[in-house]
Amino acid sequence: MGPAITLDNYSLSIGENTLLNPFDLTLEASKLHLLTGPNGAGKSSLLKSIIGLMPHSGDIYLNWPEQAQIPAYIPQLASFDAALPITIEDYLHASIQTRAFFLKKSKQQKQRLQQLLAEVGLEDKAQRKLGQLSGGERQRLLFARALAQKSTFWLLDEPMTGLDQKAQKQIERMILNLKEQGCTLLMVHHDQHFVQQHADHVLVINNGLEKHGSPEQIYGQQASRQTSEEEVSL
Amino acid sequence: MIDYLHSQISLLVDTGWLPDMFQYPFVTYALIAALLIGPLLGALGTLVVVKRLAFFSEAVGHGALTGIAIGILLGEPATQPVATLFSFCLCFALLLHWVKSRTQVPYDALVGVFLAFAIALGAALLLYVAKKVNVHILENVLFGSILTVTPTDLFILAIITAISVVLALRFANQTLVASLQPELARVQGVGNKKVNVTLLDYAFILLIALVTVAAVKIIGAVLVGALLLIPATTARLISGNLKQFFNRTLLISTSCCVAGVVLPMAMELPIPSGAAIVLLASALFLFIVLLNQLKMLRN
Repeated sequence: MGPAITLDNYSLSIGENTLLNPFDLTLEASKLHLLTGPNGAGKSSLLKSIIGLMPHSGDIYLNWPEQAQIPAYIPQLASFDAALPITIEDYLHASIQTRAFFLKKSKQQKQRLQQLLAEVGLEDKAQRKLGQLSGGERQRLLFARALAQKSTFWLLDEPMTGLDQKAQKQIERMILNLKEQGCTLLMVHHDQHFVQQHADHVLVINNGLEKHGSPEQIYGQQASRQTSEEEVSL
Repeated sequence: MIDYLHSQISLLVDTGWLPDMFQYPFVTYALIAALLIGPLLGALGTLVVVKRLAFFSEAVGHGALTGIAIGILLGEPATQPVATLFSFCLCFALLLHWVKSRTQVPYDALVGVFLAFAIALGAALLLYVAKKVNVHILENVLFGSILTVTPTDLFILAIITAISVVLALRFANQTLVASLQPELARVQGVGNKKVNVTLLDYAFILLIALVTVAAVKIIGAVLVGALLLIPATTARLISGNLKQFFNRTLLISTSCCVAGVVLPMAMELPIPSGAAIVLLASALFLFIVLLNQLKMLRN
């Protein structure tokens, strides 16, 4: 089960500019929390500060029974140096195993890598270089890396932006799987349709916490009904 | 141990297995140095290329010139100013990296500034140093010489090699992942263990500085950075995965170091060892580039 998150008098500033004004918030455990809002509003910065990548004011509490766990983080579309001879398997091995990359992998290590790649549908692309990967493949590789840690707390920063529809569906399936498994997910996303369909809780960020609540509370009953009708007609 | 090794090599010379030039101890020393430096620079070179730190070692190499000049001025022996050389270069490397982490200046521009500073300071001090020592000693520092390698140098090199092997076995994956995606390494760690990316960066910088300084005697201050860069850049062109990249870099670097030491001696060419090593590595790089171009044209 994922952690509950409490932000107490939380605020975020970069230099003298206040990016997020102070607010208090509790995010329930094992729910899909979606962050929306205009570009530059501070959504990604909020995610980064929760995992310690950006300094902030106020307190953040993670009510996480398994304290030793490490959060899983999927950043915005990552890029790799195209000229480096590093394959998907190399990257995954170096990311999740401590045995030095220049030593021979054991049979168990190879099986583990294949299993993880199969989970994200990259098993037949293990020898493809990082620079040759499409956006969707790169995101799925980052998912494989995060899945290896069996974390129950996931922070996803626009994981589907810039991907084609097929890749978006694959990533969407993985996110919904994590939700079913009881993970706490905090995700920046702009697709209102996805938000209304799958989110448990929506946070509208705009130089602070503008409003938050269920998708119905944020987008109104009408929008919610519209979505249901669309689903029925599909 | 080195004496024992030399006596065994002399035996091989006497029985005709090795050419006569190996009867001289300095050739044995140079060969051992090449066999230590080659794999060491090769192994580090792969990560230097991934981390885009090629010109960092160039700057530290030039810092070595200043370090030696200061050492001589402070009264250290002209052929062995070990304490000042290592202290100055380590401080130089740490300062460079510290400034990088505190400013928004792009790394290449910052290295350029430090490189210029190292050369300028070295040039300023050289005028004073030239009055005290034979100018050929400085030439050896700039371009390397197999004649100047001593058992003490080999001892230092062996210690640095041992430290590097231990660190590589423990931290190679972390360094690689932190180079590719520092933010992810910070958050998710490697193998479920948190990674202190800042500490790792400083440790890597220090190791590069140590290895660079240890290699100055045989390759030279001007050229030591090139050997961290060229073998890895060449191997990158002919490798399909990380292990190939690593192994081929090691092979190219070691072959060039050994050949660069042995060939000028065997062919009686008056070329400094550092120049010979880097010329061979560059020739191989150009050959691979041309070969790749020909392959592309055929396809």
